[in-house]
Amino acid sequence: MTTTPTATSTDVRTRLAAQAVEATKVYGSGPTAVMALDAVTVGFEAGRFTAIMGPSGSGKSTLMHCVAGLDTVTEGRVLLGDVDLGTLSDRDLTLLRRDRVGFVFQAFNLVPTLTAEENITLPDRLAGRRTDPDRLAEVVETMGLGDRLAHRPSELSGGQQQRVAVARALVRRPDIVFADEPTGNLDSRAGAEILQLLRRAVDELGQTVVMVTHDPRAAAVADSVVFLADGRIVGRDDGPTTASILERTSSLGG
Amino acid sequence: MLFLTLREMRAHARRLAGTSLAVVLGVAFLTGTLVLGSTLRRNFDDLFAGAVAGQDVVVRSETLMEMDSPRGLIDLSLVERVEAVDGVAHAEPEVSGLGQLLGADGEPIGGMGPPQLAGSWTEDPELNPYRLAEGRAPERSGEAVVDRNTLERGDLALGDTTTLLTPEPFEVTIVGVATFGDEDGMAGVTYTGLTLEDAMAQVTGSPDGVSSIAVRAEEGVSPEELAERLDAALPDGVEAVTGEALADEQMDEIADTFLDMMLAMLTTFAGIALLVATFSIYNTFSILVAQRTRQVALLRAIGAGRGQVLRTVVIEALVVGLVAAAVGLVGGLGVAALLTALFDLAGFALPTGGMVVTASTVVAGLVVGVVTTLVAAAAPAVRATRVAPLAALRDAEVERTSPSRARAVVGGAVLAAGVGLTLAAATSEGGNVAVAGLGAVLTVVSAVVLGPVVARRAVAVLGAPVARLRGVPGGLARENAMRNPRRTAATASALMVGVAVVTLFTVFASSLEASLEDTLDRSLASDLVVNDGAWGGGGFSPGLADELATLDEVEVATGLGTGEVRIDDDVKSVSVAEPAELARVADLGVTAGSLTDVGDGRIAVAEDTASSHGWAVGDTVEVTFVDGRTEELAVAATYEVDDLTGGYLLPRSVWERHALQPTDRMVLVDVADGVDLDEAEAAVTEVADRFGGPNVEDREEFTATMTAGVDMMIGVVYALLALAVVIALMGIANTLSLAVHERVRELGLLRAVGTTRAQVRSAVRWESVVLAVFGAAGGVALGVFLGWALVETVSAATGNLGSFALPTGTLAVVLVAGALAGALASVRPARRAARLDVLTAIASP
Repeated sequence: MTTTPTATSTDVRTRLAAQAVEATKVYGSGPTAVMALDAVTVGFEAGRFTAIMGPSGSGKSTLMHCVAGLDTVTEGRVLLGDVDLGTLSDRDLTLLRRDRVGFVFQAFNLVPTLTAEENITLPDRLAGRRTDPDRLAEVVETMGLGDRLAHRPSELSGGQQQRVAVARALVRRPDIVFADEPTGNLDSRAGAEILQLLRRAVDELGQTVVMVTHDPRAAAVADSVVFLADGRIVGRDDGPTTASILERTSSLGG
Repeated sequence: MLFLTLREMRAHARRLAGTSLAVVLGVAFLTGTLVLGSTLRRNFDDLFAGAVAGQDVVVRSETLMEMDSPRGLIDLSLVERVEAVDGVAHAEPEVSGLGQLLGADGEPIGGMGPPQLAGSWTEDPELNPYRLAEGRAPERSGEAVVDRNTLERGDLALGDTTTLLTPEPFEVTIVGVATFGDEDGMAGVTYTGLTLEDAMAQVTGSPDGVSSIAVRAEEGVSPEELAERLDAALPDGVEAVTGEALADEQMDEIADTFLDMMLAMLTTFAGIALLVATFSIYNTFSILVAQRTRQVALLRAIGAGRGQVLRTVVIEALVVGLVAAAVGLVGGLGVAALLTALFDLAGFALPTGGMVVTASTVVAGLVVGVVTTLVAAAAPAVRATRVAPLAALRDAEVERTSPSRARAVVGGAVLAAGVGLTLAAATSEGGNVAVAGLGAVLTVVSAVVLGPVVARRAVAVLGAPVARLRGVPGGLARENAMRNPRRTAATASALMVGVAVVTLFTVFASSLEASLEDTLDRSLASDLVVNDGAWGGGGFSPGLADELATLDEVEVATGLGTGEVRIDDDVKSVSVAEPAELARVADLGVTAGSLTDVGDGRIAVAEDTASSHGWAVGDTVEVTFVDGRTEELAVAATYEVDDLTGGYLLPRSVWERHALQPTDRMVLVDVADGVDLDEAEAAVTEVADRFGGPNVEDREEFTATMTAGVDMMIGVVYALLALAVVIALMGIANTLSLAVHERVRELGLLRAVGTTRAQVRSAVRWESVVLAVFGAAGGVALGVFLGWALVETVSAATGNLGSFALPTGTLAVVLVAGALAGALASVRPARRAARLDVLTAIASP
């Protein structure tokens, strides 16, 4: 099935945390132009865990970048909440990323010269604010980082580093958390841990998480999976299991 | 962001320290120069103040050429008039002039820089800056007091007899040893004090004239007041100045003729060093910023604004600049000591004393250090703000940046303007130095701007032999140097500027030497030249030429001296000789009249000078001499070749009527027919030794002596430029280090697939060599062009320095040296690259 939720839903419970409307992204120009996104329209519901899946070159990362305000669309619109990202200046985009969005990348998430705690509180310090100590304690406990706060990233395992990254993403209660292949560099146990933490963030803390992944087992943790191929939405699974995802991806081809 | 910045800096302290070294050196040089300047100024000040201590007022003649010539004399009888003035406690006449004291070896003591003085020994101890330490004051003719320093240098002692040349030889016996206040002497000045009668007879040669009258004021009378009263009582042409004013005057003189020029020169070289340092810092910061791209991108992704990123880099630059400047300030003290030692080595004795560090020096050093670093880091800082947040998600890419079109166009335009202006100025009639200078600056700027544009092609060409001969490592070296033309050009630019300046001076010096040789070749026709060296001492007595002329071995011996007169109220240099005799040993290219006609009451004038004044043979010129008297001299000849004699040639008879101590600087000797040159030389030397031992040389030796002076000057220039070149090379080493750090993964890969450690080292080394040769070649090309322009402009403007000589040998050496230096700069980075652990390297982020 290829249903696309409407861009203007008035249902409070299924409010969209972010959406793309006829979003098109073209790299380069002339004969060497590459169309990474082709008039994609998709919404990400608030308070839910959405995964974006697709083979390499499908545009899944590009879609996330655009929706997250890290990249701009060539045509169409991207909205975070009610804000049209295309109307924002670089400064406003920066502030938006700082205050309302959380990021977890696949690698190189942390500043090597800062401790875990300093990395977590970095966005607040950039804003010139002190992190609420209660909130910090809450997030640290949820991530299980209590005894690692004073360590530098070089002294942490891959899994611990990602947990710090997730903590940083969550500590300011963002409207939405974007994760780009967060388990890509981790072994299966550490990866599973991270996915569980993200799951808990949605279930217990009411966060919205949008995750790009190529791993079916990771996507199975999500509430919904959006499938991309060749820059277009080619499917959606609102009750994903590993099996159902595998079936979908094999039918899509590599 | 501040805490992050500081944390980052602490983590990368070593890397930043390497960067800052360039600024440290530049600031140290500048501060050293400033400290040297303040110290010298203070020391000279103290010296002159000491020299006039106790002399409340000095009465002297008003007539003056410039400080090179002594003042006119005043009448001895004025002493009575002075003593009669109310408020005068004591007045004593003084004679002072040039006098060379011969040491135990028969050579004049001293001479390089500080004057060699002789005069009357002032009896009133309060009016005499010198104090009698041993022995007694001179009482009879032939007795002398000499300062202790001079005695030591000349290996003389109390009771010895030696000769004083004023410039006539005069035998003296040392009866007293003096100190200058508490010092053994007045900073290198040699002083011989005679009785007043002796001084009047020997030094000034006048029976009733003295140089000055020193006056001590009574209690309660201020020097200024006394000076006024004396002025009123004195006749026209004689003035009274306070001791303080005299000291100030001497201070100004030293400042104008020596201090300011020396400091300007040193500051210029410090400026060059700092310019090179700017390149170095720019490059390093560019690399540092590039290396932190991913981190900057991450920060931008999580919400750091552009301004915050900019501030990070600026703060880093600020801290680096401040620390470097502070260290440089301290280093500057060492540099000042070094510079003083350098001058001592070259023979110029400077007055010594503790170092003077003024507040303005400290401020200047700090400001310059900080500003240099900030300016250099500005462009990289702005570049950092342009890092897109997306870069955090991408792998580090190979920067295959191509320089923009705009750069090529703008650079080309500036180059055209610069070269055009320089050519126009150099080939124009009068030679416009200002325009040529502007053109030169534009050319240099365009060379820097166009660097990245030509880098790729230039390196491809320069690296081709390396790639062919050195296999894979050579090919890698060439590729690496080509891959980031902007960085390659920035690194090489620093060396280019340094080499360009070195080449500029080398070309200029070789042209100077060539012109000098041409001149001497053209104008000098004598077999032997008796002279006192390239820097000239005080000259020697004209009696030498007279005596040489009587020798059997000598056909012609004629002397050539110099002096100053006023013509049209301008001070002019004149040469003094027997023009008829001179014509026999030198070819002056007479254009009108004849040199044999230039006798008493006549003058010969150079063609250029004559035409600019509108004089022809037969016209009269009004000349005022140092004694205040004026004569009308008829132009009896004009000549073309003015290198030897300058614009004006006076017959000896005219000059000796007015001059106080006529001296010759050269004697041109033609050997008699049939006499062996060596024999003649020996005979001449024997006579010359009795007159203070000036050099006796044949034409070749004489030319060599003259050009040796240029060589020495160039040596000093090279020493001063060495710093700039060192900074440039450090920049190359730095860049390579950082580049190796950047390419760790790539190097690991190479090693993994079978490149040996030696090959990796070789690749890094050859990359450095190619870079260095690129910079050096550019510098040589630029330097040759600018040197040519300088020579042409100067020769057009002054009429001297005709020929342009390209010292190809030296330039080849410069290129080779550049290549070697490049190899040297690469040693540490190459070793580090070769030592990488393969697995760690590949796994690097």
